[in-house]
Amino acid sequence: MSPVGTRILSVEDDERIRTAVKLALEDEGWQVDEATNGEDAINAFGRAPTDVVLIDIMLPGIDGFEVCRQIRRQSDVPIIMVTARADTHDVVAGLEAGADDYLTKPFAPKELSARIRALLRRARSTEPGVSRLRFGELEIVPDEGLVTSNGEQAHLTKTEFRLLVELASSPGRVFSREALLERVWGHGYFGDGRLVDVHVRRLRTKVEVDPAHPRHVVTVRGLGYKLQP
Amino acid sequence: MASRGSFRTFGHLGLRARIAATFALGAVVVSLVLITTLLVLVRRNLLNERERQLTDRAEVNVGLVADKVGREGVDAQTVFGSLATIGRPSVLIRDKGSATYVPISLDTRYGAASVPDALVEQVLEERDTALMRYRSNGETLVVVGVPLPEEDGAYFEVNQLRDIERSIDGLRIPVALAATLATVSGAVFGWTASRRVLKPLGEMANVATDISEGRFDARLPYSEWADDPDLAPLVSSFNNMVGALQDRIDRDARFASDVSHELRSPLTTFNASIEVLRNARDEMPERAQLALDLLSSDMARFTQLVEDLLEISRFDAGAVRLEIDPVPLVETIRMVVRALSATPIPVEADSTLEQAIVYCDKRRVVRIIANYVDNARKYADGATRILVERAPADPGDDDSAEPTPDSARIIVEDEGPGVPELEQDRIFDRFNRGTLGGSRGSDLGVGLGLALAAEHARLQGGRVWVEPRTDGVTGARFILELPLIDPPPGQEPDAEDHPTPLDEVVTATGQHDVIQVDRPAHEARADSSDSGDADSAGADTAEGGARAGSGGSGDRAGSP
Repeated sequence: MSPVGTRILSVEDDERIRTAVKLALEDEGWQVDEATNGEDAINAFGRAPTDVVLIDIMLPGIDGFEVCRQIRRQSDVPIIMVTARADTHDVVAGLEAGADDYLTKPFAPKELSARIRALLRRARSTEPGVSRLRFGELEIVPDEGLVTSNGEQAHLTKTEFRLLVELASSPGRVFSREALLERVWGHGYFGDGRLVDVHVRRLRTKVEVDPAHPRHVVTVRGLGYKLQP
Repeated sequence: MASRGSFRTFGHLGLRARIAATFALGAVVVSLVLITTLLVLVRRNLLNERERQLTDRAEVNVGLVADKVGREGVDAQTVFGSLATIGRPSVLIRDKGSATYVPISLDTRYGAASVPDALVEQVLEERDTALMRYRSNGETLVVVGVPLPEEDGAYFEVNQLRDIERSIDGLRIPVALAATLATVSGAVFGWTASRRVLKPLGEMANVATDISEGRFDARLPYSEWADDPDLAPLVSSFNNMVGALQDRIDRDARFASDVSHELRSPLTTFNASIEVLRNARDEMPERAQLALDLLSSDMARFTQLVEDLLEISRFDAGAVRLEIDPVPLVETIRMVVRALSATPIPVEADSTLEQAIVYCDKRRVVRIIANYVDNARKYADGATRILVERAPADPGDDDSAEPTPDSARIIVEDEGPGVPELEQDRIFDRFNRGTLGGSRGSDLGVGLGLALAAEHARLQGGRVWVEPRTDGVTGARFILELPLIDPPPGQEPDAEDHPTPLDEVVTATGQHDVIQVDRPAHEARADSSDSGDADSAGADTAEGGARAGSGGSGDRAGSP
């Protein structure tokens, strides 16, 4: 069902929510570490290996965005932001801070675990036997989670990597944002296209020689994105 | 709103034109009165002066003439030559006895006929100098009569006033010009003066428009009017009003946001706890299981209600933001339906819409469709079919109406009892379940769903309604009409890659479609929400030659 020993760090200042979410996630067979504020979260993250981080944006002291940025600086661990406001501003700010996905309170625990599971998935290998994909100066090794641009390794988060591999699975083919939401994030019909847009933007800054004029991760007007060989 | 956006300076005579016209009218009336008075006075003065001179002269002339008249050997010309004259008066001498006139001037045009009888009578009867002015044949004549003391006759001089008439006439053209000039300058003055008066009104209209469109920080520039004792209070009270309004809206929005947070937190706990309980359901006694089922189904309802209330409070607070994105409409509908309905519902789309990218707020459209499908499940044993059609543009009844764009209609059909005609509008009201509401089991919506659907649609220029099925089967058709709009201004992205005719698209419904080249231009427009990216089209040179002529605007040929 889920990888044994998966550890989730849940950062939430509301004790009741934290406890209920912990219980629900433990029912999924995951181990849950808790942190009640930003400082705790950053310390806890350093202490134990963590597979997914769940961060509430409204935290006392260091807020969720900052926690997200600090964790992102040291790790490519998948991060889910939890927000009480569906405000567009919060969502985009959270994604810009480095979050992989977001959820709006009140969320169904099933939804949360589905998101976590999607983030835990390994990047799919395109075809068995193909271990290396090369597009000009860009090289992807799906099985090793390795991306190099001009021979230099690009440090992608797991989600950015999965997005790139998904696009690279059919070079030149256009993926609608909905398709990418479903394949990379495991979102249903309600997916938010901004998730894709922000990740594509981040991906470009890491793999494109000139992110302002991308050569590989290309927008197709009105349709979606494609990987240009 | 016909005059929205711009203050009307011209319409069917706008305020400003009326002010200018009033000024012009005032100027013309004043100038005409002044000029007329002036002319009359000048004329009268000139005439009086002349008459006085003529009278004096005539009396002097009589003295000179009296002793010569009637004497033999003195001819008329000699007599006339000795007279001092102004102009060329015709002189007549009337002999009382014979009542005949003796002309002694050379200008014979003014003979005896020129002397009015009334004057003759007056001079002869009263034996006094008299004067009469009259008009004849278009010229003004002044006849002066002086009685001759010895002869018992009278001496008359007939004078023309052509020179005075000419001077007065000569004044008419400059006077007419002056009047015209006064009129024009009155109009110009009125026009310019009114601009200053109306400028704050015009700006007020613009600011009001800004505010109604949600830009609450719009204000009139007070410093521009601060020196004006008449306008400053108006401007400052207008700004104060807008400020108060903004505060209030901000407060409402903050309240909605605070309430939202306060309600969301416990709901999150509820939902997670119930989930934990459900995971342990099998270990519970039967009665506890029943209670848990009730709890969890009503919790779902309550959560939905809270979300709907928060949504609707955002509408009421005006704190609503549209997120217009390019949305693959049919694909999205298929995903919604697949996610919501256990039994598959066929989605039949017009061929021109199958691949269409529609600019709309995806979240709101999804909410509407989900609500329709959900309603059909609750009241009509599920939707039987979903149609996506193209509705022709409504040409608009009159010239003032802007032509509406084509629109797409999404129709959710069911085979339920249908909606009674009386209810067809009312079911879109808040908390109105319709007459069907109470009669169905407990799994009912609270009645905000359709009201929200109406708001969601209205917000993006669409509309919702329900109608009976037209194919003879009982049942209802719930319809969402969305305008097929161009991308909103500012969302036109930097030039990016055009779809190519042979681009294969991977859609979320698992199909690998090939794009049809003949999609209408506005559907092939760009990916808008990605506009933050400074993409350029040049990257995709490999397929440059095969680009579809999708006619999208903003097509900047990019640099590599």
